[in-house]
Amino acid sequence: MPSRNAAQWNTPPNSLRIDEFVDSRIYSDPAIFEEELEKIWKKSWLPVCHESELPEPYDFRTLTIAREPILVVRGPDNKIRAFLNVCPHRGMLIERRPSGSFLENQASGNPKHMTCMFHGWQFDMKGNCAMITREKEGYQDRLSRKDLGLRELRCETTFGNFVWVTLDDNNTQSVNDWAGDALACIQKNLDAEPLEVFHYHKAIIGTNYKLWHDTNSEFYHDYMHYFNRITGFTPEYFARKNVAHKNGHVVVGTFEVQYEKYQLGKSRAELSFPGLPPNQWFMVDLFPGANFNLRGSALRVDVMTPLSADTVMIEFRGLGLKRDTAEERMRRIEHHNSIWGPFGRNLHEDLLGVAGQGSAMLPGSEPRRIIQARHENETIHDEVGMRHFYQEWGRRMNRLPSDPTRKYMEAAE
Amino acid sequence: MAWKRVCSVDGFAANAVRKFTVDGVEVVAVNLGGDFRVIPPMCPHMEEPLGESGLYQDGVFTCTKHLWQWDLKTGAKTGVAERDIKMYRTKVEGGELLAFIDKPLEYEYVEE
Repeated sequence: MPSRNAAQWNTPPNSLRIDEFVDSRIYSDPAIFEEELEKIWKKSWLPVCHESELPEPYDFRTLTIAREPILVVRGPDNKIRAFLNVCPHRGMLIERRPSGSFLENQASGNPKHMTCMFHGWQFDMKGNCAMITREKEGYQDRLSRKDLGLRELRCETTFGNFVWVTLDDNNTQSVNDWAGDALACIQKNLDAEPLEVFHYHKAIIGTNYKLWHDTNSEFYHDYMHYFNRITGFTPEYFARKNVAHKNGHVVVGTFEVQYEKYQLGKSRAELSFPGLPPNQWFMVDLFPGANFNLRGSALRVDVMTPLSADTVMIEFRGLGLKRDTAEERMRRIEHHNSIWGPFGRNLHEDLLGVAGQGSAMLPGSEPRRIIQARHENETIHDEVGMRHFYQEWGRRMNRLPSDPTRKYMEAAE
Repeated sequence: MAWKRVCSVDGFAANAVRKFTVDGVEVVAVNLGGDFRVIPPMCPHMEEPLGESGLYQDGVFTCTKHLWQWDLKTGAKTGVAERDIKMYRTKVEGGELLAFIDKPLEYEYVEE
């Protein structure tokens, strides 16, 4: 096969269908990235954390969606709510800590309230404005606390008691409408018993968020995972189905993992999640950037926060059962880390893959074609997951993924 | 008898605001200058811990968070404060500050 000059390199092979490749500008173009924040990230439900990370009333976490600062907090009524982490007075960030408790007294805050340190305005756990300093003197009867509550965001605690938030008040879908179809395959395992986060780390990676999501939706890259390659390529592995669900989600099949074939491996059946067949594995990729990965004894949930066209923050959580004994928990953590920890089998290799792509698709780089043309009867090495994702992406953005200068709607006609 | 020892007055500086736990009850003691007051640990406004935010100066006790103030001679509110402060009865005997603590004095707070 001859190498190609610029013109040849820039001409996709005639035999490729329009949905079998994308233009690399969808990963590298900062203007497209900004548009994605508006049209996709501000309009989707995202699982931002787990209820076990807010175990007590007044516990909170802060985060961002599409750069908007958000605060989630468990109220004294035990309900978890989400608010824009912004003071209605002067637009100041209210809470600066990544997590904590509003029960603790702070130099410029007081117990049981969120306090904007700037001018001392305070809010309760339901977002009511509870204190405006020198209220009467400054606003007389023109403005009062009741006019100046926080902006509450739609928030649901569901599917294994994850806390889901959306910035879009106008979206009438529930989380179940949004993702229930894709998560149905593991819903009974997630909801059988209370879960608990035992592992959390975050990584900031020099790549476009979609490249990470792509990697989660094809398993052809098991050629990079040495151990998967030498132990995993069995008939059952290749029989796994890769199934597209509405709203751009994909279920990357299920199969029984042969842990005995791993180096020093042994079955993890006795710690399998409730209702899960022994050593069974499920993976659900949620549009636009979350992933539920249930591997027998441990659940991993990744949530992405895109920071720029070429940078993504990924939060990695590992979960077990709340009722785990110390010994069970230790083994779950070991199972989790042996695959996904820093010295585990897979995670670092996945990161090498997407960081390599990221460094070859920096903003301003020449447009290239990225191929997603594998058809293998919708099984594990079929790239149907990516094609499905980019169909949804094209619809939301009204841009054709294979040529983002063209409108998706017109091209589809 | 519910007179309980809070602390020794020896070394309790004038105008000082100090925290104590007396028989399991948290209190704040203030030296008005030879005359002592013992009050509940929380501000009646928004549960501010007065052991940290309380300041006694020029005869006025101030919660520095929202500047509620009281005359500690009587416990009466002054300035922007909207509620009086509760006080335990106190006396000094044999160099010891005593407070009459039957049950903890508490405030009701509005939870919306």
